[in-house]
Amino acid sequence: MRPHVTRPGRSRRLLARFAPAAVGLLLGVLALGPALGPGFALRYDMVFVPDPPLVLGSGGSGGFPRAVPSDQVVALLSLALPADVVQKALLLGVFVLAASGAAALSPGDRTAARLAAAAFYAWNAYLAQRLLLGQWALLLGFAGLPWAVRAAARLCARSGVARLREVAGDTARLAVALVPAAVGGFQAMLVSALVVLPVAALGRGLADGHQVATPLRHLGRRDLSERARAVLVSVVVVGVLSLPWLVPALLSRAVTDPAGVEAFAARADGPFGTLGSLLSLGGVWNAEAGVPGQGSWSVAAVRLVLSVVALAGFVGFARVAVAGERRFALAGFVRLAGRGWGRNAGAGRYVPGLAVAAVAGLGVACLGAFAPGVLKGLIGWWPGFGPFRDGQLFIAPLVLCQAMGFAYVADRLGRMGFAAAAVPVLVLPTFALGAFGRLAAVDYPDEWRRVQALVNADPAPGALVSLPWGAHRAFAWNGGRVILDPATKMFARPVLWDDTLVVERRAGGAIRVAAEAPRARRIGALIRDGHGPLTAAFLREDVKFVLIAQKNENEFSSRFPGARPILSAGELLLLRL
Amino acid sequence: MLKVLAALAVGAVLAGVASVAVVNVASPTPEPPNKPLYNYGTR
Repeated sequence: MRPHVTRPGRSRRLLARFAPAAVGLLLGVLALGPALGPGFALRYDMVFVPDPPLVLGSGGSGGFPRAVPSDQVVALLSLALPADVVQKALLLGVFVLAASGAAALSPGDRTAARLAAAAFYAWNAYLAQRLLLGQWALLLGFAGLPWAVRAAARLCARSGVARLREVAGDTARLAVALVPAAVGGFQAMLVSALVVLPVAALGRGLADGHQVATPLRHLGRRDLSERARAVLVSVVVVGVLSLPWLVPALLSRAVTDPAGVEAFAARADGPFGTLGSLLSLGGVWNAEAGVPGQGSWSVAAVRLVLSVVALAGFVGFARVAVAGERRFALAGFVRLAGRGWGRNAGAGRYVPGLAVAAVAGLGVACLGAFAPGVLKGLIGWWPGFGPFRDGQLFIAPLVLCQAMGFAYVADRLGRMGFAAAAVPVLVLPTFALGAFGRLAAVDYPDEWRRVQALVNADPAPGALVSLPWGAHRAFAWNGGRVILDPATKMFARPVLWDDTLVVERRAGGAIRVAAEAPRARRIGALIRDGHGPLTAAFLREDVKFVLIAQKNENEFSSRFPGARPILSAGELLLLRL
Repeated sequence: MLKVLAALAVGAVLAGVASVAVVNVASPTPEPPNKPLYNYGTR
C-alpha cells in the first residue's frame, strides 16, 4: 500500500525545495536594485552592448582571450533576446544558482540550514566586490561551484569496479555542473578546477558502507585506482570545457607584465589587514570595487566575527562528517538521520577536498600580497602564471567552506536557525540597491548605436582603432562609473585598443601594467611617437576606421589627413581611412 | 531561553551596525566625472 501523502506535506516539501532558489532571487533583486531597470548596467569589466556581434577569439587584437566564450554566449543569446535582458538574466542567474547550489550542498537537510547556506553564499563580500568590479563571468563559475563540488564528490562515490554507464553518468553530471564556469571562461574554470580536482582526489564514497575519507596511509591499491579514475575524469572534463579559451591563449603571442602582481595583489579593505580582509572574504585589489562603508571598524569587525563563526562551524561539520563517519556508517545513522542528516548522509564526501582547495586558494591570494617576488618570477618565466596575479579571486572555495560552516551552525540552532538567513544581509547591508547606486542601468546615447550600425554595415575589411588611447572611460551618461571602453565589444571586426592597465596607488604614483596584445603595442607606439600623421601607418596595420570619443577631435583629427569623417555626433567622431 | 536572549542580543547588535552603515553610505554622491581616460582602479 502506497503511503498517503497529504497535500500540506507535499506543498511544504515543494516550498522547502525551492525556497533556496527563491531566496537567491530575492537577494539578487535586492543587490542589483537599480541595475534591473531598463538599459545596461555598466561598471569596470562588465560591458554589455546592444546587438553584440558574434566575434570569435580575442577579436583579432592578438591579446589573451579574456572574454571567451562569455562574449560569444552573450552574442548568441542576444539573437533571441535584447542584450540588456540577457544581462539581467545572467546576473540574477548568478544569485539563484549560487543560493540553490549552496543549499544543495549544505550539511543537514533542515530548511533552516539550507536557507542559511543559500543566503551566505549569495550575499558576501567576495560576490559583492567581484560584481562591483564587473566580473560577472567569474561569478558564473562561483555560482556553479557548489554544483561542481557535488558532482565531483559523486565521482568518488563509486566503489569497486564502476560500471561504464555509471561513470558516463557521473561524467555527464560534472560536465553539466561546470557549464556556468565554462561559459564564464578562464577565471571561472581555474577557480572551479582548484576545487573539483581535490574533491575528486580526496573524497570517498559511502557506497560500500564504510568511511567517507580514508587517511592516505591506509589506502589500498583499489582506493588509489578509484581516486585516480575520479581525478582523471575531472581533468578530462575541465580540460575539454576549457578548450575555447585555452587554445587561443596557448596560440597567442601576448605577454604578461610582471608589474601586474603588484597592481592586482590582494589588499586590506578594512582595519584588519590583508589577511583579515581575505578571511572575511574581501580583499579585492581595487578599492573602487569595495562595498560602500565596508572599511569602517564596526562593519569590518562584524564581518570578521561572522567569518570566524562560519569557519568554526566548518571545522565542527568536518569533524562530524569525516572523523565521525565510521560511527555514522556503523551505528550512528539513526541518531544523525534524526537530526536531519538523512538526505545528505554523504555530505562529508567533499569536505576534505573543499578544505584543501580553500587553504590552497588562500595561499594563492597571499602569494601576491606577501611574496610578490615569487609570482613575478613565475610570470617572467611563463606568462601562463598571469591569472594568479589577481590572487583574491581564488578564495572562492573559502567562501563555500564558510557557507557550509554557517549552515552547520544554523542547523545546530534548531528553529532559530531560520533567523540566521538574515545575518549575511545585516552584516553587509550596503550591498543592497546596487551597492547604493554603484550599479545602475543606463542606456547608450544614440550616437553609439549609430556608429555601431555604420561600422557593422560596412563590408570593407580592416580593423577599428578606438581613441583616446586608453582602456577605460568614465562617461557622464553612465553616472561617472568607470568602464572598459564599450567600443571593444561593439563591432564585428577587430578592434584595436590600449590594453595597458593603469592602477593608481594612494602613495607612490600609478602602476602601469604594459599592454599584452602585440597589435595594440604596435599601434600604441605609433600614437605615442610624436604628433605626426598616422593615416599611412594605420593603413599599413590594416586599420579601416578610427573612433574618437569624448571631444578629443582636436587632439587626434589633425593626425589623420585624408581620412573621411563618417559621423560626428554627440561625443563621437568616426573616421574612415 | 538563554538561546533566545543571545539571539536577540546578536540581532540587536547586527541591526545597529547595519543601520549606522546604511546611514553613513546613503549620502549625496558627488558630481560624476567625465574624463576621456580613466584608471582601471585605485589600490
